[in-house]
This record gives sequence, structure tokens and C-alpha cells, in this order.
Amino acid sequence: MEPRKLSREDVTRLYHEHGPALLAYASSFVADRALAEDLLHQVFAKLLEGATPLPDVPAAYLYRAVRNAALNTRRNGFRETALDATNSCFVHRGGDNEAALALQVALAELPDEQREAVVMRVWSGMTLDEVAAATGVSLNTVASRYRYALQKLREKLKPFQKMRSCDGRE
Amino acid sequence: MDENDEQFENYLREFEPRGPRALEPKRQPALDSWRRLAAAAGVMIALGTSLWLVLHSPRWQALQTVTVGTPRPVRVPLSIVPLTKLAATDPARLDAELTAASRQVLPDFRGDKSTLHVLAKE
Repeated sequence: MEPRKLSREDVTRLYHEHGPALLAYASSFVADRALAEDLLHQVFAKLLEGATPLPDVPAAYLYRAVRNAALNTRRNGFRETALDATNSCFVHRGGDNEAALALQVALAELPDEQREAVVMRVWSGMTLDEVAAATGVSLNTVASRYRYALQKLREKLKPFQKMRSCDGRE
Repeated sequence: MDENDEQFENYLREFEPRGPRALEPKRQPALDSWRRLAAAAGVMIALGTSLWLVLHSPRWQALQTVTVGTPRPVRVPLSIVPLTKLAATDPARLDAELTAASRQVLPDFRGDKSTLHVLAKE
């Protein structure tokens, strides 16, 4: 049986479902938000052409495609811009813009596979099992990548969490 | 995952990734060709209309009337052989031919503003 091709509705649904998390993921490779959006659009434009068969795990395909596009851009001599509030791809619900920027920097400093695990789990809402299936590694490997990533992020974001507890916000 | 991890995970979820701008679908090729066709039709209509307006404008009509009403005088070539023949056979026609030819070559003296008329007045 021939694999089903991605329909326009499939692509739109995937964009709404994973677009924000994928943008955050792309922004951890290239700090320029506009460029990260362009990368994301490149990936989805290809899907809209209708030539791509529906992947077994669409999220995994999307993350891989975005990562490849970002790495290609880096290889092609893209000049990195400074990260500032306008380029931030996160918004903190409590309005802590500094923490949002710090999170983006901290994510960018993580090894690719750890960053992938965190973004998939936290912002794409995937379970660790799904992340394991998507990345093609065992559940244990994903779990340890995720744990290491959380440790590093916690270290980097500690000052902001402390400030929050001093302010009495929770 | 311990409790600390879960708490930190919840803290991370307080950060919401900004949504990307709306997906701009690539224009369909079929739609493109329809647009090109419509543009070509528009240009043809504009050209046709302007041509029609030019051809039906009063200035153009006047120009046409002038052109039709004043045909260019046909120049009769003068050469010795036919003139000799005419002199032998039809002197009256020779006279007429020479008169017509002279009108084309020499200044006209019949008009009010002719050179001869002006000189005669002086």
C-alpha cells in the first residue's frame, strides 16, 4: 500500500500543534527570530508542496527537518545577531522578560539531543516514550538526556527562580 | 523524575513559546496562470480600446479627409522623344503638357500673392 501523502489540513494542524515549540527549537540554533521563522516556513512550505509522505512520527520528522535547516544556515556563514527582547522566542506568563531571554540562551547552550528532549517534552507536550520513538533512541537514553538538560537549565535559571520567591510570586 | 524535576518542569511551562507568523501558502501554479491570462486580457482590452478611440476621434477623421481630398499631383516626366512625337501628331496636347509641366517647375503667377503679381504691383 502506498503511504498516505500529507494533506493541506495535516500540514496546518501540525503547524498549529508544533509551530511554537519548533520556533523555540529553531531559535536555539539561530538567535535571530525572523530567521528562525523563515527556517520553520521553509520546512512547512516543503510539506505544503504535497510531495512528502506522512511520516510515522510527524513531530520527529519536523524536529529533524528544522535542525537540518538551521545547521545548513549556520554552515552557509550566517552571521549571528545578538539576542535581545525582540528576538526572544519565549514569553514568561509573569512578564519576566529577563528570565525568558536567559532560558533561550541556556537552551542554546545545551547539546542538541538534550535540547531536543526538553523542547519536545515541555513545549510540544510529548511523553518521554514519544520522544524516544521520535528520536530513535531508548527510553532510558531519553530520560537521562532529559534529566541532564533539566539540571543544567535549573542551574542557569536559579537566579530568576530565587528572585521570584523573594518577590513572593508563585 | 523526582519532585524537584516536576516543579522545575512546571516552572519551564510558565514560559510560552511565541507563535510563529501565519503560514504563507505557496501560490498555486494554476492560479498563477489564470492571473497571467487575466492580465494579458486586460492589456489587450486596454490596447483595443485606445486604438478604437484614436481611430474614431475627430482629429483622426479630419486627417483622413484631408488625405483623401488632396491627392498629390502626378508629375509628368518630360523627355524629348514623346514630346517630339506629340508635336508631330497632336500639337494641342503638346501645348497642354508643356503648360502643365511649367506650372510644376516655374513659380505660379496667377495667384494674388505670386511673385509676378507682387512685382507688377510695385
